[in-house]
Amino acid sequence: MKLTRRQFGGVVAGAAMMAGTRGSFAQGGPIKIGAINPYSGAMAQYGDEVTRCYELAADWVNGQGGVLGRQIQIVRGNATSAQEGIAAIEQLVGRDKVDILAGTYVTAISNAASESALNYGKLYWETNALARDLTDRGLPNFVRSGPSSNEFASRAVEGALKIVAAKLGKQPKDLKAWVEHEDSAYGTSIATEQQRLLKEAGVGFGVGSHSARAIDVTDSILRAKNAAPDIWISTAYVVDTNLLLRAARDQGFKPAAMMLCGVGDTKETLEALGKEYLEGIFVVSYPRPDVSEKYGPGAGAFLKLYRDKLGRDPIAPQGMNAFVGMKMLFEAVKAAGGVDYEKVVKAAAAMDKPLGTYETGYGAKFDAKMQNTRALPVVAQWQGGLVKAVFPTEAAAEGVAVVNLPRA
Amino acid sequence: MAEFLNILAIGLLLGGIYALVSVGLNLIFGVIRVVNFAQGEFVMLGMYGAFAAQTALRLDPYLAPVLVVPALFLLGCAVYWVLLRPLQGEPMMQVFATFGLLMVLENSVLAVTRGVSFSVGSVLSDTTIAIGPVQMPLARIIVLAAATVVAAGLGWWLRATMPGKAIRAVAQDRKAARLMGIPVERMYMVTFGVGAALAGLAGCLLSPLYSMSPQIGMNFIMPAFAVVVLGGLGSVRGAYVGGFIVGLTEALAGFYLDPALKHAVLFMVFIAVLIIRPSGLFGVAGAEEVGLREQS
Repeated sequence: MKLTRRQFGGVVAGAAMMAGTRGSFAQGGPIKIGAINPYSGAMAQYGDEVTRCYELAADWVNGQGGVLGRQIQIVRGNATSAQEGIAAIEQLVGRDKVDILAGTYVTAISNAASESALNYGKLYWETNALARDLTDRGLPNFVRSGPSSNEFASRAVEGALKIVAAKLGKQPKDLKAWVEHEDSAYGTSIATEQQRLLKEAGVGFGVGSHSARAIDVTDSILRAKNAAPDIWISTAYVVDTNLLLRAARDQGFKPAAMMLCGVGDTKETLEALGKEYLEGIFVVSYPRPDVSEKYGPGAGAFLKLYRDKLGRDPIAPQGMNAFVGMKMLFEAVKAAGGVDYEKVVKAAAAMDKPLGTYETGYGAKFDAKMQNTRALPVVAQWQGGLVKAVFPTEAAAEGVAVVNLPRA
Repeated sequence: MAEFLNILAIGLLLGGIYALVSVGLNLIFGVIRVVNFAQGEFVMLGMYGAFAAQTALRLDPYLAPVLVVPALFLLGCAVYWVLLRPLQGEPMMQVFATFGLLMVLENSVLAVTRGVSFSVGSVLSDTTIAIGPVQMPLARIIVLAAATVVAAGLGWWLRATMPGKAIRAVAQDRKAARLMGIPVERMYMVTFGVGAALAGLAGCLLSPLYSMSPQIGMNFIMPAFAVVVLGGLGSVRGAYVGGFIVGLTEALAGFYLDPALKHAVLFMVFIAVLIIRPSGLFGVAGAEEVGLREQS
């Protein structure tokens, strides 16, 4: 069929009218949030958990009438690598017409996806990726509601000083620490900040690094053992964390305190080491639903929501952090009166909520680079096969106190 | 001195792990002349096999080889027959095929497990034997003993039995072996099956030591390649001794220098050995006798 110029003009005009109709319909339709996470591959378990809790937050707010009178709809975009993150953004924006993008369990994916989102003029609301660099870029569409790697590092050092040194009756200058980390950007960035803070506090320390893919880490453990530290602080992934703990057990390395940063608080570590060995090991972690209601008001209600919908307990602490991040996003969108990224970022920058506002115990106060300065992890401890928050003291549930320190 | 002895013990035990993983890899390389990138995945399957046996049958991981080793032998035979045999005469394509197999196996296990790591326990795995200042986990001593038995047993089998002699004949000259009536294709299949079965055995015995993940095979395969090249391509004794060289180098460099530098030191030793002795420590010069000659 051959189109005349007039017919072609008519088709274009008609298409434009339809596009206009669709746009105005979209205004009354749901607010679509594209959730970028790994839903397949090695990181799927936690990617799934993070998005499940976005969906839980969406259900919760929809039950209250939605945001700006519109329902919230979470649309999943699978990304297991930075390249897939970019492709997922293109698909979510181009095909699914999402209004906002959120994520991410993995820093590398967040890094690439958020830049791609900026190209489409979309907000990237980060809840879970940790690297400090993400906010240090100063990307105008990027906000992080959860803690960064620096907060994990500072909480670990705070725990070393306020729990371990205090319990051992040592001044910081008399305390000896060992900072162990896996040697990629993740472990190195947290360990570097830990070293800075330990030095600032006057604590003597040694440092060791290892490859997360190492077949054997006994050499790392023996170096730490030789230094005879009071506290051994490790930042690694699950598999090498388990390997380090096994080597420590086999080599009789038993410092007064052992502290794991970011991992080591799941069933995977419990099955590998058993509850007897883990008893008393500290974990710097996202706040879990076990925190006291005084510290994290609504944590119990979150747990109930989760159990009602999924019929089991949360599988990882990342979930409640994601849920809270999504709630903060809803509040920022509401305050902005829409989904335009500049307005939402401005509304988020104006938020000023004290610590203890949300289920995780977080408040909301963003710095100039849009990092929430009131999102702090807790120090938890393995006790009887369960992980329980013990620091800050007000985060601990009733009857929970530090046990097995120094480690028997 | 006590410290040095402890590190020496750690290095020897680590060498046992590398030797056990490398023996099968070297057998396949020496006979079929295929660099089997999927060998680490066979180890990984062995680990998951031990996990499945413990979960389904409450079988101790040290008893799991009874089921896992035959299963991996059959899998190895099937892989050779279906994947590698049609690519005979295309050595590069065979290498790419094993790489493809690596990806298939790794991603299949990922899809099933969704990346969750699993662990298996044994009554023996928590025991450590202390000799003076030297601490040796029993689970690693078992691996070292198994590597020794496997290397000795395989060497004897290749030297003293008819199938072993046939495999050696095929490795030395495929055409002459065929003229002597040896079923070359079947010997290749059996060799690949035995190589996979040895990886399965390694996986079972290593399972109490590690939290298993679908990617764990890759962690083993890179040092294993260093072991077989250092020890000598196609040499069982080379794989065994090479394992200890790699293990000791890693342990000593990791402790006395820096754990982050141990692989750099290992590959410096690797390069030095190759410069001095290009065929590896126990390889035959030119490697013609172990099957590296271009054959039709």
